Amino acid sequence: MDAVRRIRVNDSLEFDYQQEFSLLDALEARAVPVLHSCRGGYCGCCKVRLSEGRVSWHQDSLVPLQDDEILCCCCTPLTAIAINVPEC
Amino acid sequence: MAYSTFNRNVYDHLRQPMFFGENVNVARYDQQKHPIFEKLIEKQLSFFWRPEEVDLTTDRKDFVNLPAHEQHIFLSNLKYQTLLDSVQGRSPNVAFLPVVSLPELETWLETWSFSETIHSRSYTHIIRNVVTDPSKVFDDILLNEEITKRAISVTAYYDDFIEVSSLYTLYGEGCHVVNGKEIDISLRELKKKLYLTLASVNVLEAIRFYVSFACSFAFAERALMEGNAKIIKFIARDEALHLSGTQQMLSLMASGSDDPEMVDVARECRDEVIEIFRQAAEQEKEWAQYLFKDGSMIGLNANILGQYVEYITNVRMRALGLEPLFSVHSNPLPWINSWLTSDNVQVAPQESEISSYLVGAIDSSVDSDDFDDFDL
Repeated sequence: MDAVRRIRVNDSLEFDYQQEFSLLDALEARAVPVLHSCRGGYCGCCKVRLSEGRVSWHQDSLVPLQDDEILCCCCTPLTAIAINVPEC
Repeated sequence: MAYSTFNRNVYDHLRQPMFFGENVNVARYDQQKHPIFEKLIEKQLSFFWRPEEVDLTTDRKDFVNLPAHEQHIFLSNLKYQTLLDSVQGRSPNVAFLPVVSLPELETWLETWSFSETIHSRSYTHIIRNVVTDPSKVFDDILLNEEITKRAISVTAYYDDFIEVSSLYTLYGEGCHVVNGKEIDISLRELKKKLYLTLASVNVLEAIRFYVSFACSFAFAERALMEGNAKIIKFIARDEALHLSGTQQMLSLMASGSDDPEMVDVARECRDEVIEIFRQAAEQEKEWAQYLFKDGSMIGLNANILGQYVEYITNVRMRALGLEPLFSVHSNPLPWINSWLTSDNVQVAPQESEISSYLVGAIDSSVDSDDFDDFDL
């Protein structure tokens, strides 16, 4: 069985990743407000900053990203992660 | 200096900038300077759809039963969308193809413009189905002062760039006398115009279109004009892709990973880009006043649409690393998200046109693990 992967959001909330399809789904399951739209990696709305940990990409991002930015709809946690979600 | 359809100069295409380098010669995609454009092309091709797939017979009945002020909102919105896609169906080709220097970007521009022509064809499909005389709708696009005002603002940067860029293609840099008029062409100024044109295209696709989508979806939220909304949903999916294309171009330019000179150009243009966003937001709010001049509809009025304009402008500015202009933080039309998400609705294929149904999409990645359960 996979090790538990913790997701920390804005240093204020922490929960376990429950094998949801994407990080966006995991955030939605915990009712974390995160901007989103296309779920296909091309609108760029669900861009967040990854401050700790690594993620695995299941689809390519089609929007410009900085090195520490990820699209929630395109990836899942590979390790315990910490993310900064902008206010929405 | 004139444009060559097959440039015979031998050069390293991986060292060319996106624009204003060599004219493209071999359309090759085996090595790419910016592979992101190939990904956009593949995504766009997987999105292929045809307007005729969507049945509009109930929309006709719905339209006839709409009160006059809602018919005005629906038709004016459709006219505006027709105008925007008339521009977008040709302008990326006319403006950018003569100066593009990378094969993958050249093909993205063509793929992008082609998909806009499908949008234009779908407006004809809608108009044909909901009104008896389509000419009345189409002709008004050129006669209605409110719409022509929109046309001027969406085309100004394109037209200015095309004029100077075609003179540059013909005569090159320097002072020239054309038709008795002295013109001074500098590549640096032209690059500035290119950057601003891309910013104004981004505004067109990322703000102006979304305001019109909100109106289309507001009808469907009340179970009216649903065929129209289904088509607009396809269009919105394409537009989200196109706007990420222009954002990519602007970001590549500003980051210096393409043409080093564009870094300074992007910096110099920053204030004017912010002004383009501000003006577009103002113009869209004015347009909202015109749409709802005879009355509001359930779920949408000029005020709420104005707030949405501010919200979406902030989102798009943030995407380009600009400080948002407005104080609105949350989406005043939260229901719009379910219309803009293309892949989260699961329905039987025979019941509905599914936007996530990919035609010819092949996953060609094979790992040795894939053969683990393979027996002879």
